[in-house]
Amino acid sequence: MNEKISVRQICFILFAYNAATKMLLFPTFAAEAAGNALIFPILFDLAVQTAVVWSVAYLSSRTDKTLFALLEDNLGKVAARVIYALLGLWFLLSAVVPVNEQQLLVHDAFYDTMPSLWIFMPFFVFAVYAGVKSLTNVGRCADLCFPIFLFCTLSFMVMAVEGADFTALLPVLKGPFNKVAGLGVSSLYRFSESTFLLIFMGHYKYGKGDAAKMTLSYAAGGIAAVAFITLFYCVYGPLAPTRSFALSSISVFFPSISYVGRIDLYLLYAFDIVALFATVLNIQAFVHCMCKVFSRDCRIIYSLAACAALIAVTFAVNNNFITLQKAAAGWFWIPALAFAYILPPLAWILRRKR
Amino acid sequence: MNNSLEEKIARVKGELTSEDILVFRFSSLSGRNFACVYTDGIVDKNMIGELIVKPLREVKAEDGADRIKKLLAAPELKDGKDFADVIERISDGDAALFAEGAEEVFILGVKSPPGRAVAEPPTQVTVKGPREGFTEDIKVNLGLVRKRVKSPALQVKTITCGKQSRTAVAICYLEGICKKGLPEKIEKQLKANEIDILADSSYAAGFISQRPRSLFKRNATCEKPDIFCAKLCEGRVGLICDGSPIAITVPYMLVEDFQTAEDYYSVSYRATILRVLRFAAVLLGILLPAFYVCAQLFKIQLIPAKLLFKIASSVAGIPLSPSVEIFFALFVLEVLNEASIRMPKYVGLALSVVGALVLGDTAVKAGIISTPAVIIIAFSAICLYTVPDLVETSATLRLMFLIIAGSVGAFGVILAIAFIMSYLVTEQSYGVPLLSPYAPVIAKDMRDAIYKYDTGALKTRPKALKSPNKVRLKNKR
Repeated sequence: MNEKISVRQICFILFAYNAATKMLLFPTFAAEAAGNALIFPILFDLAVQTAVVWSVAYLSSRTDKTLFALLEDNLGKVAARVIYALLGLWFLLSAVVPVNEQQLLVHDAFYDTMPSLWIFMPFFVFAVYAGVKSLTNVGRCADLCFPIFLFCTLSFMVMAVEGADFTALLPVLKGPFNKVAGLGVSSLYRFSESTFLLIFMGHYKYGKGDAAKMTLSYAAGGIAAVAFITLFYCVYGPLAPTRSFALSSISVFFPSISYVGRIDLYLLYAFDIVALFATVLNIQAFVHCMCKVFSRDCRIIYSLAACAALIAVTFAVNNNFITLQKAAAGWFWIPALAFAYILPPLAWILRRKR
Repeated sequence: MNNSLEEKIARVKGELTSEDILVFRFSSLSGRNFACVYTDGIVDKNMIGELIVKPLREVKAEDGADRIKKLLAAPELKDGKDFADVIERISDGDAALFAEGAEEVFILGVKSPPGRAVAEPPTQVTVKGPREGFTEDIKVNLGLVRKRVKSPALQVKTITCGKQSRTAVAICYLEGICKKGLPEKIEKQLKANEIDILADSSYAAGFISQRPRSLFKRNATCEKPDIFCAKLCEGRVGLICDGSPIAITVPYMLVEDFQTAEDYYSVSYRATILRVLRFAAVLLGILLPAFYVCAQLFKIQLIPAKLLFKIASSVAGIPLSPSVEIFFALFVLEVLNEASIRMPKYVGLALSVVGALVLGDTAVKAGIISTPAVIIIAFSAICLYTVPDLVETSATLRLMFLIIAGSVGAFGVILAIAFIMSYLVTEQSYGVPLLSPYAPVIAKDMRDAIYKYDTGALKTRPKALKSPNKVRLKNKR
């Protein structure tokens, strides 16, 4: 299977997918957790993860091997497999929240009446199909998603800016510090894109300045998400936590909506294509890890297994997303810290040969 | 072939037993006997008289084969290699000349199959630019190509396909511009298929396609020699099949279908606008019926409020559900479309009146289907025909999306789009990604994709085609 991906495609992933996953339910939770100070913990998480992304990107300039090959050279085959198995489990775990957010978005924005959970099941058919695809496919999908994301996000923001009251952000840091810090810690798991970069290592040709390109792309994507979240808070102010999806509510005050209808919903649908690819990226990464762990290219089985697990979780948390969200906010940051913040810099201590 | 003249003719007639294989016997003034064997209906008999019989009247009894060859005035003159070759040439429309006392058999190209004149193709009509179109005659078609590309780099390799039809297929490419090994690969793939009859170039298209069962085609078709030649000059390989006015070019990129010859003959801004329009029209044509059904069944907010009231008043009292109603309207449209193509022209006119008035107006008045449903299906049909080469695919997609929209709603439609995107990004036509230059992004090739630069700025051949000769234009800009 062709597993080549280009730096440009990685940049698109770090920009568009990174931002898209943070624009579904995260703005509402951030507004609820930190009020008008929501921007600071997000920026903090973004800054830390950007540094980690840089460390992985820069590591690629020192070796052309995959992470698995590096681990194999340094720690042996068994240890490499164990680490990849754990990494795979992390990807599966990190897919839980996006998948359930996607399900809620579908119920909220695609239907007038609350549909059955079964209506969401075709998503898993797509996830199984996309899960077996190669990294080349992942990269090329990002090529297509990037302009869609850019167009939709810019349109959302342009439509929202008229209804925004930027004084809602004042006074700065009105909320209690522990709440703000709490958001910083609990949302650590949402900023874990460096793990994707670990998977991409060795599958792209590093050129001069590529580490900077990737880091800046990630930072730019994060800033786009921060801008969107801030705008959302400025539109709704203290009422922001009551709006379930920023995407479906941020532009409703745009004057033309009353004449031309809910064009923002069409934009949301287009945006959802990007969100779908961003969500299945976790499954694709899981499948990639499992292929290495078992040294067999039974992608369809790994993909089916991942989707079966996610279906089970989706049914378990049906209509009880708040519980899942609380659980995620409560302890997801621990594995996130290990895999997305500690593991990537640790990769630097591995002995490498070009 | 060292038997007597009569024995040779008997042997040929023993192999070609059909009554339309004629033997024309004649003698020179000195009494030397000759026999010309040919297939009736596809040779020019005047040419036989002028190029063979007249000159050979001078042959003397003792003249050898060299003298006979010298006297023959035919520009296409070959020696028959063996008996099998002679049989094949006669079947193909050439004439075989047997001379008394000579071992050689002369093959003379006097083929003149019935065919129509060069005319403007019905599917690629242009306002500006050349109007010549391919015909069913491979020789005429190759002539039209040669007329435009006079370079010695133009290579034409003719092979025969079809066990019974023995159809000639010309593989055309420009040496040094086309990717090395590509014509050979196509030839190999064509030869790997042994079929009775190669009735049309679409058969060949199926044979050279790496995924013949896919909904998305892997080759471009064209009916105009100017487009064909331009594609050869970009580094593609072209196939011209005898008996088909439609030529095939590979490798293929999906974006090719959104381009027309006229784009290159008009201002680049206008061409860009038209390409965007075609792209938007195809998207709209595929998705509009689906989203109309989604809006009515699952998300009424997708329709502006004022329009919603209009639609509500139109659909009130319609006995069918929105999805069944649209499906019914689409079914009627497809039936009308199919019937109007197959029927004779004068019946077709009556049919369109019946279709438009009886099925359209009356069905709406009777309250069987609503006016918006008719408008949406009609508009969708018009939209799809802005890119005629994609109609087969886009009409199937429209039906597929309609079924998904009626059962799952907008989320199903979005998932299907994502599914198609994921499928298409890694699909290839002879190593060239179908969605190139957008996935993967090839910035230079985007100069002539949906956006079109002026011709002076298109200095390099499409990078995706991996041509060994990259530069196609040198200027000081």
